[in-house]
Amino acid sequence: MHRSIFPPVAYGAIRFAAMAAITLAFAFAQSATSGSPPPDFSGMWLVQDPGSGSFEEWFDNVPKPQLLPEIVKDNQALKASANAGNVVNVARRTAACPVGNLPLMMASSPALNIVAARDEVLVGAESNRARFIYTDGRDHGETKSPDYHPSGFGHSIGHWEGNTLVVDTVGFPARVCDSRHPVMVTPGGGRAKDTTHLIEQFRLVSHDEMTITSTWEDSTVWLAPHTYTYKFKRVEQGTPFENNEDARDPGYQQRQLGSVATPEQK
Amino acid sequence: MARWYRPPIIAAVVLLAGFSKLAWAQNTNSHPDLSGYWALRYDSFSVPRALLTPEAASAATAQAKHDIEAIRWCNNLGVPFILGDRTPLDIRQSPTVTAMVAMAQSSSRYIFTDGRAHPAKEDLDPTTNGHSTGRWDGDTFVVDTVGFNDHGATRIPGGGVRTPDSHLVERYRLFDGGARLSAVFTWDDAKVFQKPHTYEFRYYKTGPISGTRILACDPGDQDRAKFLLAPLGER
Repeated sequence: MHRSIFPPVAYGAIRFAAMAAITLAFAFAQSATSGSPPPDFSGMWLVQDPGSGSFEEWFDNVPKPQLLPEIVKDNQALKASANAGNVVNVARRTAACPVGNLPLMMASSPALNIVAARDEVLVGAESNRARFIYTDGRDHGETKSPDYHPSGFGHSIGHWEGNTLVVDTVGFPARVCDSRHPVMVTPGGGRAKDTTHLIEQFRLVSHDEMTITSTWEDSTVWLAPHTYTYKFKRVEQGTPFENNEDARDPGYQQRQLGSVATPEQK
Repeated sequence: MARWYRPPIIAAVVLLAGFSKLAWAQNTNSHPDLSGYWALRYDSFSVPRALLTPEAASAATAQAKHDIEAIRWCNNLGVPFILGDRTPLDIRQSPTVTAMVAMAQSSSRYIFTDGRAHPAKEDLDPTTNGHSTGRWDGDTFVVDTVGFNDHGATRIPGGGVRTPDSHLVERYRLFDGGARLSAVFTWDDAKVFQKPHTYEFRYYKTGPISGTRILACDPGDQDRAKFLLAPLGER
């Protein structure tokens, strides 16, 4: 038989008050650590590549991934195709084509332009629109909707772990509109596609330096998760460049062709 | 779960959420946070007719053609087009920069609040969105923009166009408990307006956007091109 010095009603009230006190103390303790604003990543950030002049060399300048044999074979076929002169994307860019390419953008020389707001972090290349990282608590549920049209940036959600922004991305397109390699390629020769999962950790090392550690996972591409880290330097008070190239301009069309002809490397 | 657990847990969650918002408020220097998805409705526009210079008035037809060509060729449309589009405008505010991202074909717009001034004219690279700096005047976010180019969709609501000489001042203010956003635009350009042209949009806050955030555009789509450029009977 239950025995107490308090009547049942009073016992309930005391138990309620004790639980409330414990829970509120927990809330205050959390606020002491998580209540401080997260670091502000906003600004323009330039990836620190070795400056060899060869993008291909830089793109593959990551720890060697453990790729599945069929991906290795496919990479060899892609290289042979490029060596045979297939370096111009002749696929028509229709409105149905996925926009963007996350692995390419994060490695490229145009500065990343980050705006870190409360519920969303924007990451663009210069003034181009690109990634939306949702930090409003949503999940990846919308990628399972039949209305979801994957972009080359995937679907990203983020949360803060201390001073690190952890970003989780899925929902890449299975194919892209590129006649040279119709699936997005990741640094080191992996693939970003509909089955691929990316985790990134954005860390503000100092006011002027940021690192992004990327880990790619996909059992149809890698034998083990592939991880590498890029360093970025802040472009103090940078002003983003706007691309006003025009598809009707013959000069632009010629530049498109010329830009993919890789100069001989020494 | 026993019911008596619920009130203190709910209280804790509310407190945590409150602290989180408070932290962000501190991070944005305690100014109102304009961040969110903002949409225009049928009753969002208060736009008087602009008092144009004779030159600007006579160029109206050519400017309309210029803008539709920009849409047809998937050019960056820029300010003021992106602020008057009917798809939701994504505004994101951080302590040092505020971004405005439209779904229509356009660059992201950045409004710098890190204390910088506009670059000298000779150092400015003109863009469709111009170069914007922002400051707070009480609860009103005041944005000053120069450095436009003449690319994209240049027509201004009420008449006139933006030019490389245009100067735009915007005043953004939340009202209705943060559910609505007033934006008052004032354009000044002696070649276009006989006096500064002012109008107001009132945006409604919408829920989170899901799915496609950027509307794809195909300049090679001939059917779309005909729809945009050819009169109805000639398509």
